[in-house]
Order: sequence, then C-alpha cells, then structure tokens
Amino acid sequence: MLSINETPVRTSKSFNINNININEDEIPDKTYEFNNVEIIGESSKIKIDKIQTPIDLKYGLGEELTNQVKTKSNQNYQIIVDSKTNKEVTFNFNFDKENASLVENIDITANEGTSASFIFKYESSKSLKAYHNGIIKLNAKENSKINIIIINLLSDESNNFLTIDNTIEKQANVEYTIVDFGGKKTITNYYSNVKGDLSENNLNTIYLGKDNQVIDLNYIAELYGKKSNVNIEVQGALKDKAKKNFKGTIDFKTGAKKAKGEENENCMLLSDTAKSLALPMLLCSEEDVEGAHSSSAGKIGEKELFYIMSRGFELKEAQKLMVRANFNKILENIKNEDLKNLVLKNIDLILN
Amino acid sequence: MAKTQVEEINRNVYDIVDKDNYDFKIEKGITKEIVEEISKQKNDPEWMREFRLKALEVYNKLEMPTWGPDLSELNMDEIATYVRPKTKLNNSWDDVPEDIKNTFDRLGIPEAEKKSLAGVGAQYDSEVVYHSMKEDLKKQGVIYTDMETAIREYPDLVKQYFMKCVPVNDHKFVALHGAVWSGGSFVYVPKNVKLDFPLQSYFRLNSPESGQFEHTLIIVEEGASLHFIEGCSAPKYSKINLHAGCVELIVKDNAYLRYSTIENWSKNMMNLNTKKAMIGKNAQVDWVTGSFGSKISMLYPLSQLNGEGAKTEYTGISFAGEGQNLDTGFKAIHNAPNTSSVVNAKSISKNGGKCTYRSLIKISPKAKGSKSSVSCESLMLDDISVSDTIPVNDIQTDEVEFSHEAKIGKISDKTIFYLMSRGLSEEDAKAMIVRGFAYPISKELPVEYAVEMNNLINLELEGTIG
Amino acid sequence: MSNTLIELKDLHVNAGEKEILKGINLKINKGEIHVIMGPNGSGKTTTANAILNNPEYTKTAGQVIYEGENINDLKPDEIARKGVFMSFQLPEEIPGISVTNFLKYAKNKITGEPVKIFQFKDELKKYMEELNMNPKNMDRSLNVGFSGGEKKKNEILQMLVLNPKLAILDETDSGLDVDAIRTVSKGIEMFKNENNAVLIITHNNKILHNLKVDYVHVLVDGKVVTTGTQELATEIENNGYSKYKK
Repeated sequence: MLSINETPVRTSKSFNINNININEDEIPDKTYEFNNVEIIGESSKIKIDKIQTPIDLKYGLGEELTNQVKTKSNQNYQIIVDSKTNKEVTFNFNFDKENASLVENIDITANEGTSASFIFKYESSKSLKAYHNGIIKLNAKENSKINIIIINLLSDESNNFLTIDNTIEKQANVEYTIVDFGGKKTITNYYSNVKGDLSENNLNTIYLGKDNQVIDLNYIAELYGKKSNVNIEVQGALKDKAKKNFKGTIDFKTGAKKAKGEENENCMLLSDTAKSLALPMLLCSEEDVEGAHSSSAGKIGEKELFYIMSRGFELKEAQKLMVRANFNKILENIKNEDLKNLVLKNIDLILN
Repeated sequence: MAKTQVEEINRNVYDIVDKDNYDFKIEKGITKEIVEEISKQKNDPEWMREFRLKALEVYNKLEMPTWGPDLSELNMDEIATYVRPKTKLNNSWDDVPEDIKNTFDRLGIPEAEKKSLAGVGAQYDSEVVYHSMKEDLKKQGVIYTDMETAIREYPDLVKQYFMKCVPVNDHKFVALHGAVWSGGSFVYVPKNVKLDFPLQSYFRLNSPESGQFEHTLIIVEEGASLHFIEGCSAPKYSKINLHAGCVELIVKDNAYLRYSTIENWSKNMMNLNTKKAMIGKNAQVDWVTGSFGSKISMLYPLSQLNGEGAKTEYTGISFAGEGQNLDTGFKAIHNAPNTSSVVNAKSISKNGGKCTYRSLIKISPKAKGSKSSVSCESLMLDDISVSDTIPVNDIQTDEVEFSHEAKIGKISDKTIFYLMSRGLSEEDAKAMIVRGFAYPISKELPVEYAVEMNNLINLELEGTIG
Repeated sequence: MSNTLIELKDLHVNAGEKEILKGINLKINKGEIHVIMGPNGSGKTTTANAILNNPEYTKTAGQVIYEGENINDLKPDEIARKGVFMSFQLPEEIPGISVTNFLKYAKNKITGEPVKIFQFKDELKKYMEELNMNPKNMDRSLNVGFSGGEKKKNEILQMLVLNPKLAILDETDSGLDVDAIRTVSKGIEMFKNENNAVLIITHNNKILHNLKVDYVHVLVDGKVVTTGTQELATEIENNGYSKYKK
C-alpha cells in the first residue's frame, strides 16, 4: 500500500482523510510511448518546446508519482508566454490502445505583463484502461494573467493522477477550471503559492462520480501576499457507489494583511450509497484577513425536484437539470462552445 | 489604530498554591508495580485490579497521537499518577480539612451549593473529599457519589457501564486513564426523575508534577432529565501536570442531559481528556464548554446518536493566550434515522496563543433523514496568534441535510468606529465585541458560571456591562 | 461664550489616496438645523466621518473647531464624549450585546455617571413608543437581524438617549418609507432645543417636509457650492443638481 495525496495538516487517523491509499501496482513500472497529442492554436506569442524541465514541488501526490514524472515522462512541454494573447492554446491528449499511458510534465512560465489561456483535455475511448500521471507547473510573474481549463474525460477503468503547482507573483491572476468526470480513481493535488501582493487565484471545479469511482481532491492555497485573494469553488454530484474526498486548505501566512480567502464546497448525493467526505480547512496566522468556508452535502431538495417535475420533467431529467444548474456558474468559464457542449453532453451521459 | 491590550486572564484566585500536604503520593512514572500499588492503595475489587493491568498493557502498545499539538514535553516518568489528600470523603463542609476547605471557599464552591445546586462534589488531587446531595433527591432514588463508593455500593451498575462507552483502546491516554484512574463522580437518575437544579463536581489539582485521572459516569434513565456541571482548576507550577479524565454519559430513550464545563487549568497542564455520550431514542445531550486554561488541550466530546430521533448540541468557546495550544472541538456520529446535531463553536486567539477547532461529523448509512449544521467562528486579536479550523465531514447517505460554515478574521474597524462614536474607548469597544462574541456560550451557563466565565474573559478589561 | 457649536474651516479630507473634501467651510450655531445635500460621491458622508475623525479618513488640511477647540486629532470616543453624535448610514451589528445594555453602557461613558437601571428602562421604553419601535427590540442584540427601518430608528433612539449637543444624521432617511421618515422627523423634533444643533445629510428632501430647517448647503465634488434656506431644497427637489455641477 502506498499512502498518497497527504494533507498539509494531519488530523485523527480514524477520520480516514489524511491521505488515500493505493496499491503499488496501480503505478505501472514501465511507461510506453504516447504520441496522440493534438495542439491547437499555437502562435508566435507562446513558445512551446518539447523539453523536460526540473521538477521541484512543495507538496505533490507523493514521492513515487512525482518521481515517475521526473524519470519516466513520455511527454514534456516547456511553455513560455511572452506577450498578451486572447487566443487559447489547446492540448488534446487522446488516449487509445496504442497510446494508453501518459506521463507528462508541463512547465508554464508567464512572463511579466503577459496573458494567455490553455486547455488541457484528457480523453480516452470508453473501455480503455488508461493511465495518466501529470504535473503542471505554472509560474505566473508580475501582472500576468493565466487561465487554465482542465477536462478529464478518461474512461471509468482509468487511473488519473494530476499534480498542479502554481507560483503567483505580484498582481498576477491565475484562474483554473477543472472538470473531473472520468477515471476509476481521480486523484488531484493542487497547490498555489499565492506569493505576491494583490495576486489572485481562483479555482473552480466540477466533478461527477458514478459506479465505484473514487475522487480524491487535495487543494491547498497558501496566502503570503498582502491583499491577495483566493477563491475555491467545488460543485459535484455522486451517484451509485461513488466516493469523493475533498480536502481544501486555505492557509493565511503571517504578513498576508488584508488577504481574503473563500472556499465553498457542495456535494449533491444522488444515491443512498454514495459517500462524501470533506475536510475544508482554514489555517490562519495573520490577524488582518477575512477567511470563510462552507461545505454542504445532501440530496437535491424535494421541493425543487417536485417543482421541476410538475413542469413535465421525469425524475432523471429533473435531477440533470438541478445538477446542471449548480454547475452553471463554473461552466460559464468555458468560453469555447465546442468544449462546453462536450462537457454538457458528458453530464447528460453520466447522469442517465 | 494602536493595538488594544486585551489582558491575560487574572488567575490569582486559581494560582494560590496550597502546601503539597498529601497523605500518600505514588512514585513518579507508569509501571506495572505502580499500577498494582495504586490498586492496593484504593482497595480495588479484583475485577478492577485486572481491568487496570489490562489497560496498562493497551497503554504500552498504543502510539502517541500522530496529529495535533506537540506532546513531547510530557514525560510520564515525571508524573505521579496518584496523590491522596490527607482526608477521607466527607459529607459536611465542617469536616473537610481547613487548607482544602479554604481552597474551595476561594473558588466559591460552597456558596454555589447553597444558592442553586442540587448537589456538590469536590475532588482534591486524586480523591473526592466532599459529596452531598439534597435529601429529597435521595428519596427519589437519585445517586450522586464518588466513583469509589459507587464501585462498593452499586457494583452491578458500575460493572455494566464502566469504560464500555469509551473503550480503553480508544487512544493512548484513555488507556492510561483506565490504568490509573481515581476519583470522579457517579450519577444515576432513575426513570422519569427530572432534576430541577444542577449537580456540580469541582476538580482541583494541587500537587505539583502529578496527574488527575477522575472518572465520571452518568446514567440518565428513560424520560429522566439532568444538568451536570464540572469545573476544574489548578495552581501554576513550572513543571508539567497531566489531566486525563474520562467522562461517560449514558442517556436513555427520551432522556435529557446537559453537560456544562468550565475548564480553567493552569498553564502548565496537559489536558488530554475524553468525553463521550451514548444517546438513545428521542433523547438529547447538550454540551456547553468553556476552555480557558491549560498549556495544551486535546478534547473532542463525542455524541453518538444511537436511537432514532436522538439530538445533540455542542456550544463551545476556547480562549488561547500566550503559550497555550487549545485543540478542541466535537464529534457527532449519527447512527440512527432522523437524528440531529448542531454545533456552534467559537475561539479567540491572542498573544501568540493557538486555537484549533477539530471535528468529525459522521452520518452513517443507517442515519437517513438526519440533519447536521455546524458553525465555527474564530477571532484573531493580533498577528502573532494562530487559529485553525480542521473539520471532517463524512456523509455516507443521501437523505441528509448537512451544512458547515466557518469564518475567521479580526474585529472589524468599522464596528470599532461605530462603538467609539458612541463614546466607548477603543479598548472598551473591543472588549464589548469580545464579550458579545462569547455571549452565545455564556448565556447557556448557570448565572454563577456565566459570571465566572465573563470574569475569565475580561477581569482585566476596563469596565463591565451591567 | 460664543453661540457657535461647530465650525469647519477649509477642511480637506482624503479617503485612502483620493481627495474627497476639497476645502469645506461650514458653521453651525446652537439652536440651528442644517442640511447638507448633494449628489452621490460629493463628500457628504465623508464630512460626517471627518468630524468624528474616523481613522479610515485623513484630514490633509483645515480644521474642525468644536466649542472653540480644535478637535482634528481627537479620537472618535473623545469627540463623542464632548457631545457629538452621528447616526450611521449603515449601523453596525454587534452580536451578543443587547440594545439596553449597550445604551446603558454608552450613556455611562458619555455622562460619566452611573445609570439608574429602572429609570433608564422607563426612559428607553418611552422613547421607543414615540418612535413606534417594538419594545422587544430592547433585549435583542444591537442591530442584529434588524430591518433597515428598525436600524435607522434605533439610531434615532440612541440620539435621544445619549442627548448630544450636535447630532449628525447621515442619510438617516434613505431607504425608509413615508411613515418611517415621519417617525424620524418626530424624533428630531423631540430632540431639538435651543442649546443643541442638528446636521442632516441627505440626498432627497422628503425628511425636510416635516422639519423646519435653518440652512441648506449644496455639496458638489467636495465643496459647498451654494447655501440657502429651505427654498433651496425645494428648488433642488424640482430641478436636481445639474445646475451646480461643472
């Protein structure tokens, strides 16, 4: 057994949330080639090199998974944003029989005053047993603005590991939208060093779990900068025997005067065997801050369901409508219509 | 604006040290011989002697907690686990030795008894030195006595429940408690008997480099009702003292128990306490807790909602000043349908103190139709203090309403200005806001305790509200 | 002794880096009711806060003279204890402190004398009746869960109880219905006498219909652009501020 995705602060072992255990054999020793990558929207404003860069993480998923990317990656991208661009760059990682295992290292540097958007989409054919272990490292320098969308549509047989590590400098703004629909196990470690004064970090996630899917999200934001701002919003729904662990940490460090941090997590339970485990942490060693978190879980309200059904929708449709309503605000971040439609189509499929 | 000095609690009353004038003090450390000796000194029945030795084995096997405050300063080789004061159990204040009586007089115990209590118990170091209860309650079959007497006089009742609710393998310090426990209160409220006034036990640890391990067992039978209050304090010594008490509450169908605590241990105390309630059908347990003292506290009362419709509420405040690390919170396990839990936790950190709210709300698959709502608020009074919120919410079925909210921050400048525009100085304004912040907890306490709590919060603050 | 209660002399005030008041002159005598009107952002609320020396605002030049004394740098509570009261546009909520206890405590701070509780409660009850306030509010936490109207009435109640020499009412009428505005006016009338003064800050003049006002000042972009009598308020009601804007 390997203990991975540990929280920055431990609580009682018996609460079963400090980490998640996986079998050693869930991490393959050998990685094969992965060549089915489609990059759309390349431009001169963004330099993309296929080279491996050094990996230095504050947290990460654990030594084994981090080392795998360090030593056995089969896709490497060093991305340097040199000016402002409105056009988004899309990386489609398409998993199939020949390309079933992706271990990638993506290193993005956004230089001062630049802006860019990236989409990373991981999609596999339906019954493929795919493996994904990736690290996305972002350094957002002063006044830069980076928008990243991550779409996980891997099959339910897949293991999906993702590490995100951000450094956010003065007045930089980093926004993530994560859609986690796929994977037998989807395990994410997200860390932001919200370093600069007036820097900002928004993280919006929607997830759906079905069958025996396990979703383990460990989101950590450390606020160092004065007047820095962090907002974490997580909306999800679970059916069948799906299980979700949400671990969210907002950590106000001494000196982060007038910083603000908010965390909001909501889990809709669509079956009586689905399980929602949450640990929304607020850590604070600075007086002059505003921190808040809220977490909720439960069935979709009977009243709302009844109202919608009274307009002629059957139960499943009504449920879908409610889930979509809760996801809507986050879905609006996806400006690319094709991509948005793909996500909507998948919500429909999963909730059928 | 200049920083307000919200003064440390004036502990004078609590800090007066009596001479360490014991009748018997066991040697320091924790070994089989020591546990045997304690058992002998206490004239344990054979089953209890065996129980202690088994608990010691468990203690030796279990590891220290891998989370929470740093306990490395606690060296069990430096702690005497049993100190017997120079007196027997008394039923009249007049018989309590002068020096011990003075201590409790200073703490206002006998006065409280006269005014508003149905019964009082007082423990000094390892033994209960005084116990009394109103006559009419005795006639109704209410039992309120020390644990040792209970073992002698009600062996069946004690055997049935003693450390069944909290098993010795729960954690290391419960196992330690099982091995060396001494003193504490036993309460039995028969079916449908409702006590109009509270019972109160007060625990005082006077002896340096020692531990207090009192055991409280309360059984509230069907349809009965009780309010139990415990208070604790100790003078400050330079070396570590240990408190590892255990509270077991059995609250049967349709019964009600309110358990109030004002904890004001001195700042050399490691307070590693365990409390748990088993709650029957449509029964209710309310916890009201004020934590002010101790160097380190780890305390998370647990309400296990076993009967359909069972309810629990937790209302707690922690106030951590210099050198204090108060890791407190609550656990609720919903094990039956339509159960409910409500949590209202507050904390104040100042002068480098650390408050942590740590919790578990677990709604098991059996608990359909259950509700839980949690609200935490933390106040930071300066930028050298720490305040953490570490709640775990484990929801295992869909037909539930669960919500958790937490807020952290300082007193708003706008609010201070508003109060200053009404003639209050900045210090007064902040003090008033802090008192208001604590009010939801103090209002749940009996008047004398609310006053004591307010004193604890603002004895040193300028001015008081009428 | 002079009849002047307060005088603002060439007062310049910043909120953060931004200059809001650009040289205000204003003189209020005992027994007078003054009104400051002006469009949003003209500096009305800043004027009120500057008098009470709210630390969120900085005076960069000029003086606030109260009863002959420069009170520029006094703390808000010191100014309050000298007899200045401000009714807040958005009164703060203080959980856990009842209206009665708060007012008793504040009264004690302002007068420096112990408050006789029964007499005080009677007085409070009398004022609450006059202001059509629910007497149950006495025991509720200060402003917590009060409606907008209840909060504003509670400010007027505080004014009556604390009985200041100068009452500054910052947009006390905004968001109130006709009946509530009438009640507030009634409160001001009850308060007013020849030894005190009222400064009403408003951007509409419904509240003025029920009051006799001595002076109306129009504030635009941090300066008093014109001063007149009640007719000026009527003129603005009909024509707006456009005439006074640059």
